[in-house]
Amino acid sequence: MAFDIFVIAEHRDGKLKKSTGELLTVARKLAAAGGGKVLAAAIGAGASKTASDLAAWGAGTVLIAEGPALEHYSSLRWTRVICDAIATRKPAVILMTVSSLSRDLAGRIAARANAVLASDCTALSAEGGGFKLVRPILAGRALVTAAHAGPAPLLATLRPNVFAAEKPAQPGAGSIETLAVADDPKDARVTVKSFVAGGGTRPELAEAAIVVSGGRSLGSADAFKIIYELADSLGAAAGASRAAVDAGYAPHSIQVGQTGKTVSPVLYIACGISGAIQHLAGMRTSKYIVAINTDANAPILKLADYAIIGDEFEVVPLLTEEFKKALKT
Amino acid sequence: MKIAVCVKLVPSTTALIRVVPGGKSLDFTGVEMVLSPYDEFALEEALKVRDKIPGSEILVVSVGGEASTKILEHAYALGVENCVLVKAPDADAPAAARCAAAVLKPYTPSLVICGRQSIEDDQWQFTGMLAELLDLPHVTAVSSFALAADNVMAECKRRIEGGEETIDVALPALISAEKGLNDPRSPTLKGRLNAKKKQIAVKMPAELGIDAGALSPSLKIEAYAPPPPKSPGKVIAKPPKEAAAELVRLLREEAKVI
Ligand SMILES: Cc1cc2nc3c(=O)[nH]c(=O)nc-3n(C[C@H](O)[C@H](O)[C@H](O)COP(=O)(O)OP(=O)(O)OC[C@H]3O[C@@H](n4cnc5c(N)ncnc54)[C@H](O)[C@@H]3O)c2cc1C
Ligand SMILES: Nc1ncnc2c1ncn2[C@@H]1O[C@H](COP(=O)(O)O)[C@@H](O)[C@H]1O
Repeated sequence: MAFDIFVIAEHRDGKLKKSTGELLTVARKLAAAGGGKVLAAAIGAGASKTASDLAAWGAGTVLIAEGPALEHYSSLRWTRVICDAIATRKPAVILMTVSSLSRDLAGRIAARANAVLASDCTALSAEGGGFKLVRPILAGRALVTAAHAGPAPLLATLRPNVFAAEKPAQPGAGSIETLAVADDPKDARVTVKSFVAGGGTRPELAEAAIVVSGGRSLGSADAFKIIYELADSLGAAAGASRAAVDAGYAPHSIQVGQTGKTVSPVLYIACGISGAIQHLAGMRTSKYIVAINTDANAPILKLADYAIIGDEFEVVPLLTEEFKKALKT
Repeated sequence: MKIAVCVKLVPSTTALIRVVPGGKSLDFTGVEMVLSPYDEFALEEALKVRDKIPGSEILVVSVGGEASTKILEHAYALGVENCVLVKAPDADAPAAARCAAAVLKPYTPSLVICGRQSIEDDQWQFTGMLAELLDLPHVTAVSSFALAADNVMAECKRRIEGGEETIDVALPALISAEKGLNDPRSPTLKGRLNAKKKQIAVKMPAELGIDAGALSPSLKIEAYAPPPPKSPGKVIAKPPKEAAAELVRLLREEAKVI
């Protein structure tokens, strides 16, 4: 039986997030294995602007839901649009990125669409007519391999940066269909009233290819400047340990770890971070890890691919200079 | 106002958890079990709301094994009115959500508060499912919660990628707590003594109309594995300036990441 794969695109005002390319790459592989189609849905203000990009990433059908009722995010309205699409298109798999959006929606969609949810997947493949996936549990202390054979659809949220994003040689047909939005007054019970942008010009932490993080040993908010400068020299996002956040040196929005954000960049640079289990929970799937630490026995060194044993106040500014030089050539 | 809080017992975040050779199960012997950290914020927010609105009461629900009485005793010591334990030790998030919904539906709470995520299977699944089963609007990972004067609407703040959302939600509603929502209190001695007089109501899923099928796991777990071992990395033993240059070279030429 052919199975279709349904990708929920993420975008802000029509600009696709990088991770959506990753979802569509996985979707194409799964669809190819099952002889099915790739569908992608974009919802909210600017959604129709994503259509050509979604086609370029291989979506055969692009479902657009836009309009006054979807001007501002509402978990109930989004759930309705997505679940109506699932009911009519009957995909075998629904893919979302691990993000604030999927954290808010996935459980609700799974309950309404009778889907089986697997959060935070780091591997997903079609196998023997069903699907096999890997997800970390217990803050990364163990990995679970699980199987899903249907008939209920599988709703999988995928960690950003873990799956490759490759554009297909041939774009998908990208035939656009507009999703009607049934306006149930009950959906007005929750709605986003306002959004205040913060975080400045650095890339989004959860999606950044490079993350530079600082720990408690920086000693002040002012000293965190050296972390931001190193991050900026690489076009990286900045992160912090919980101890640094609790001490007020960095905002909670950039905390990495179990009680903060999970990141999985290509390169993670930990400056003066000991590597407590709860910090590792948020970054251990990074591809390359660099540690700068005065203590050659700090636990982070067990995970580090490269380490400099030294004082961050000395090493970090030197690194910033070296990166600036290297990236100019 | 009737307020409900859902709490879960989880392994302590620092405990060493081994995969049993063969990968068929995890070894929890000797592992300390604790209240899931985010649920502390959920309990505190419930106490704050109750103390603000005269005539309010709190019902705390946990779905789990006998050991979960520990966290319900803690809730009593904090001063909540009622605790229910649904005995379903092997329930996964969807099954637990069904059990909790069966308890909460007849209770008709105006506000249900959960933690952002249980730090065990990290599914972020229970809250959205429970909200759907109870037909309540929900807001996840709330870092600020303010009831409007009428106690019918509430304003929530939630940090998302690139900024912060302010969300209006109509009660009855479900919210999940993010760190920073409040400062959880500790039980007082008097609270602890009072807790000893309180009874935890124990329910079996069957009593709640939940059959074995609704408790069976949604995903078939095939194997557990420890995180992949890392081969020892390179320590660049050079004076700072040379070390910095060498690191940049390695990241460029060996790792090829910049
Ligand atoms: C339930 C729970 C949840 C938690 N969640 C998180 C979380 O999400 N994220 C998180 O990070 N933590 C979390 N923690 C806290 C965690 O256990 C650690 O306390 C925290 O990660 C330590 O932060 P740190 O590495 O900055 O500080 P420390 O552990 O104090 O380490 C400082 C490090 O800096 C090094 N150092 C000192 N001076 C210098 C210098 N001049 N140059 C270079 N290196 C130097 C030291 O050798 C040491 O390795 C959690 C804890 C609990 C109990
Ligand atoms: N078995 C359970 N019993 C009661 N509450 C639960 C249970 N599992 C999850 N919860 C609640 O749901 C939140 C999120 O859990 P999860 O969806 O498992 O990440 C937790 O912080 C609890 O408030």
